[in-house]
Amino acid sequence: MAQDFQAIPGARFMDPAVLARIGNLELVARAVVDGFINGLHKAPYFGASVDFAEHRGYVPGDDIRRMDWRLWARTDRYYIKEYEAESNMNFSVLLDCSKSMDYGSRGITKFDYARILTACLTNLVHHQRDRVGFVAFDTDVVEHVPPSAKHMETVLHVLDRLKPGRPGSLKGPLHKLAEHFGRRGVLVVISDFYDEPDAVLDAVSPLRFRGNDLIVFHIMDPTELEFGFNDAQPFEDLESGEQMPVVPEAFREEYRSLVKAHIDALAQSFSAVRVDYSMLNTTQPLDHALYRYLGGRAKMMKSR
Amino acid sequence: MSFLAPLFFVALAGLAIPVLLHLTQREKKQIVHFPSLMFVRRIPYQSVRRRKIHNWLLLFVRLAALALIILAFARPLIQHDDAAPIGAGSREVVVLLDNSYSMGFGDHWQRATAAARDQFAKLSASDRATLVLFSSGADIQMRSTSDKTRFNAVLDTAKPGDAATRYSPALKVAGSIVAESTLPRREVVIISDFQRGGWRGEEGARLPQGVTITPISVQGAADRPNLSVTGLSLARSTFSSQERLTVTAVVTNRTERSVSGSNIALETAGLPVSNKPLNVEPGGSASVSFDPVTISSKNFKGTVRLADDALNADNSFNFVVSPSEPVRLTIVDRGSADLYLTRALSIGEAPRFDAVARQADAVSDEDLKRSAVVVLNDVDVSAGLARRLAKYVEQGGGLFVAAGPRATWPKDVDVLPAEIGNPVDRTRGDAARIGALEYGHPVFEPFRAPRSGDFSAVPVYGYRTLTPAKNAQVLARFDAGAPAVVERRSGNGRVLIWGSTLDVTWSDLPQRPVFLPFVHRAIRHLANYSEPQPWVTVGQVLDASVVPRGASTQRVVLTPSGRRLPIEDEGSDVVELSEKGFYELRGDNNQNHFVVAVNVDPAEADLTPIDPKEIVAAATGGSTGGDGSQPNGIPLTAEAREKNQRLWWYLLVAGILLLGVDTLVSNRMAKT
Repeated sequence: MAQDFQAIPGARFMDPAVLARIGNLELVARAVVDGFINGLHKAPYFGASVDFAEHRGYVPGDDIRRMDWRLWARTDRYYIKEYEAESNMNFSVLLDCSKSMDYGSRGITKFDYARILTACLTNLVHHQRDRVGFVAFDTDVVEHVPPSAKHMETVLHVLDRLKPGRPGSLKGPLHKLAEHFGRRGVLVVISDFYDEPDAVLDAVSPLRFRGNDLIVFHIMDPTELEFGFNDAQPFEDLESGEQMPVVPEAFREEYRSLVKAHIDALAQSFSAVRVDYSMLNTTQPLDHALYRYLGGRAKMMKSR
Repeated sequence: MSFLAPLFFVALAGLAIPVLLHLTQREKKQIVHFPSLMFVRRIPYQSVRRRKIHNWLLLFVRLAALALIILAFARPLIQHDDAAPIGAGSREVVVLLDNSYSMGFGDHWQRATAAARDQFAKLSASDRATLVLFSSGADIQMRSTSDKTRFNAVLDTAKPGDAATRYSPALKVAGSIVAESTLPRREVVIISDFQRGGWRGEEGARLPQGVTITPISVQGAADRPNLSVTGLSLARSTFSSQERLTVTAVVTNRTERSVSGSNIALETAGLPVSNKPLNVEPGGSASVSFDPVTISSKNFKGTVRLADDALNADNSFNFVVSPSEPVRLTIVDRGSADLYLTRALSIGEAPRFDAVARQADAVSDEDLKRSAVVVLNDVDVSAGLARRLAKYVEQGGGLFVAAGPRATWPKDVDVLPAEIGNPVDRTRGDAARIGALEYGHPVFEPFRAPRSGDFSAVPVYGYRTLTPAKNAQVLARFDAGAPAVVERRSGNGRVLIWGSTLDVTWSDLPQRPVFLPFVHRAIRHLANYSEPQPWVTVGQVLDASVVPRGASTQRVVLTPSGRRLPIEDEGSDVVELSEKGFYELRGDNNQNHFVVAVNVDPAEADLTPIDPKEIVAAATGGSTGGDGSQPNGIPLTAEAREKNQRLWWYLLVAGILLLGVDTLVSNRMAKT
């Protein structure tokens, strides 16, 4: 079925703003991911999680269905075949749907970009037969789809009707979720991380405590990075509603340096705790994010 | 550069408006929704940055536009430095002090002299001043000196005269003085009560270039009572062969306060003869008639006098009358006095005619001597009589010739205005009519107005052909164009010839209404008769020739103030009457003397003021000249300069244009 969408080769290189206009998340995700997979034709990572791991001696209580009968025939001993235990892992995307994500200056909002990214990742993971889950949060958990191999459709459906609307907070919902994800898996956090780096790290770190692999995507609009305003105007905070007069010409350089320092601090903090951190701006093709994900996954596999 | 309305510069504070607009305009734009102000909040807010001017061009254009508009409202004018700069250089000051009799009203004179002293007190050592007292004329009292002591001494002795106010002569005198001055600053100060009656338009009184005029008005409250005798009516009558005179005085109250319980008196020969009560409404007039008085002698002097009030100069009115003298004439006819002519001459009081009839051969020298006019009524004149009459005319006598069918005149005596020719018979067919009258002549002047006598209705059935002499004037013609009345001056006398008869032989003229006035006017004209004036006004002149020059005695004029003014035998016989009262002109042996009553100009008692600016504007040029001055360089007032220059208009247009540029520039910038 994936072959049906090969008619859109290179969709993964498309401008996210163009993809956002398609509207059908599933179609977008398939187009992007299938093209991506075809591009990785002989990728060494594909199927890695279903590889055989080792044999061990049978102990009473083991499921006899996992007995290696061929080895018993040769050796007359009972061995149990053990495969890579997490090869069918849990994969969950934790998406920040706070009001600040509802901002876009180049035809696509950060939230839409994050939704497409979520859909693509979910689709990609689903292809690997992993279980996909989804959590949306702002100051609290808004939507929760438990990881399951059958939840791909559900996740896309939830994503499709999700609207950002309330102020956001990382610490509360993420701490709550950290307790929820008891089984090891891969957690992807997508947010704009408008908080102090220490606070962000404090909020995100607990997700790793139970052995979850954590990938962080930091979504930013180009305007947030460049502050390309010209006229002096009052600025209003999307979440708090606070207004203040701003003379961009006077603020620009200082703003840029502050944002850069913030990003650098986040990257350094996450690196220190072995969290894969990627900063994406909404003009970057999704292909880039997928590579980041799979690259991060490979490193984790190697380090394991 | 100066400004008529500098208070508008307060509006320069409005120049801050564009600056504020520049600084606040951008914050009024649409609110920018931003994901988080986390980083913006950290940037220290520097209010000084908000005051940064972004578009200097726009700011400059707006400021310039506002500044130009404010400048326009401040009404700028360029002060041409025609004269020396104010405050620099010595001054030539001409003080024109009004001493007309109206300055005697209340304390006007005291205030005027005080103002004059102030002007002199301001003089510096290098300044020079001239004092001119003016009324109907201008009299330079002190010329171009800085001696303040002398000025004060002159002011101490000066007092209001009896003449009326006339500004023009004084301005002309001031103009001649400042024109001759070499000092850099020239000023004329007019101190007056500025009566409207004293100014009759521009009158050609222009001051030279660079002269400034400073009017100082001493006009005060005119609520004090002021009555004036503005005229008299003198009616003669005869009673018991004595001529009597009824005096009626007209009194005017020019103030807004009624006068009641006052008195008016009539004096003759210096003695009061009658006293009447007087009540006059505010702004009204009243007439008071006195009982008749007998004109007892020649040069009978009288005065009507009011009680004292705020202005005394107009409270008395003088007159002089003499018993009326008849016009004596001799009628030369054929022995029977003509009925129509004698009847016509017997009618009339002013003057009366005293006629005697003589035959042509009975006219004596005595007759000619006593007669002012000789009437030749259709007679045959001998050569001897003609010569005597010619001599009579040469000496000033008047001759009236009625050229009837029998009239002759010797050709060798050239005194008639026309040669008497053959008779013309108009009994058949239409009678001749008189037309083409010379209405400008004194004889026919009363008939000028419509329905004042119709000569064309008089049928003339016969007349003599008249051939006018070279220097004769045809006063009337018959309808065919033939001369009807011709006049000629001969020596000091006049001769007038009528081409028909004065009876009904040849015309119906004696039976027509125009006959009597025609005869009266002709005789008065030939006798050179004029009504004696009972009074004249200050400023007029006295013709001393009315009193003949004596053989040895010098003629003298006695003024009301008692001065004796000898009249030079050579030169002008004219004396200016500058005082109110009675002037006496005495000839030889005091027997032949002549009295003139002089009164003040009653118009001067009207204190209605004029705006001094009107005089100043007229004297300095008014409203012409585009560069702030008259073509002849006379400086204008600041208002007039500003009005002429109209700088405000150009500034306003420039400001509006700049606002247009501002709109264009700002629109273009908004698009980019």
